[in-house]
Amino acid sequence: MKNEQKLSHQSNTFIEDLRVYLFSSGKNEREIKEITEELEVHLQEAEQKGKSIEKIIGNSPKEYMEMISKEMSNDYLAWMKYIVIILLGMFSLNIIPELLNGILSYSVLEIIGHIVIALIFITFTFASFKYISVISHSNKKKLMLLSSVAFTPIILFIGLIYLNRAFETPIVHFNQIALIITGAIAVLIIIGISFWAKSWVLIILLLLLSLPDYFLGKTSITDETQLIVSGLITYGGIGLYIWFSYKQHNKSQQ
Amino acid sequence: MSTTQMLKGIIDGCLLAIIKNKETYGYEMAEKLEEYGFDSFSEGTIYPLLMRMQKEKLVSSTLKKSTAGPRRKYYSLTEKGELELENFMKRWEQLQSNVNNVLHNESQNEGDGTIEK
Repeated sequence: MKNEQKLSHQSNTFIEDLRVYLFSSGKNEREIKEITEELEVHLQEAEQKGKSIEKIIGNSPKEYMEMISKEMSNDYLAWMKYIVIILLGMFSLNIIPELLNGILSYSVLEIIGHIVIALIFITFTFASFKYISVISHSNKKKLMLLSSVAFTPIILFIGLIYLNRAFETPIVHFNQIALIITGAIAVLIIIGISFWAKSWVLIILLLLLSLPDYFLGKTSITDETQLIVSGLITYGGIGLYIWFSYKQHNKSQQ
Repeated sequence: MSTTQMLKGIIDGCLLAIIKNKETYGYEMAEKLEEYGFDSFSEGTIYPLLMRMQKEKLVSSTLKKSTAGPRRKYYSLTEKGELELENFMKRWEQLQSNVNNVLHNESQNEGDGTIEK
């Protein structure tokens, strides 16, 4: 937006933090847009007159964000929309690589476990975003928090694997037709979400997660090497993608 | 109660009066309040107030393009808002005269008739 470029870095950060705070508090998107735009205009005019941001929002951005938040209506329906989208996206990302291996069977415990882990992950993510938006000065803290949120599902999934070994529950098998239908739905979901979010991130993740395994499986390399190589490609690729997006983001900010 | 807390209810009424006089946007209101001497509060405080007033249908708003570029949100008073302003003015008159009376009488009668042990 051309208006935003004129704002000082401090004001811009505040507007961004406010947006994240309100969003993770479950506020209505349209209302969020309205108030952030209004404040942007205000900050811009105030800055032109040489006023400091403290003169506008007071000494505690957190208190000010809470004040604004209190006057806004909650929009749980929109929240549900995001939760459903994240759940579907996570499942599709999980299912497609396994489909390529040609087997798909889950125990009831696994299915329930996956859903519970996804919900825990979503809750943690929203909560940490809300927390992060009010501690805007400590990048180290932010990084620590986000990485622990990212590690939580990994630990939980490992726990689930052991749990699944310890308790026997009925197993749901997917036959050939069910495999094809599930695969098609999963691919459509990924494509749909990518269009909706106007982002390549899911498609890139999907390719990085599924292709290395698939192609390495066709070679005669030993299983162990396959595991290491595919892991390197997947996580290296994700790292590269994040780095690349970060560069792009910085460029567009200047 | 902090000054800011006490000010909020009063600023509500002042905003209604400013908006009634002329369709206006946030920054302009803040400037006006400052001109009138309200300079200790943070300007942004007016937005949560405006949001509530809009929810209570005391004011309505439209977005307008300005010469400067960004779209400004202009507020105007609804009928309900005008009524609220009248009420505020009455309440304020009453409060003001009460406080004045207390301050005037009590500081004059200092020492006599007051409770002493």
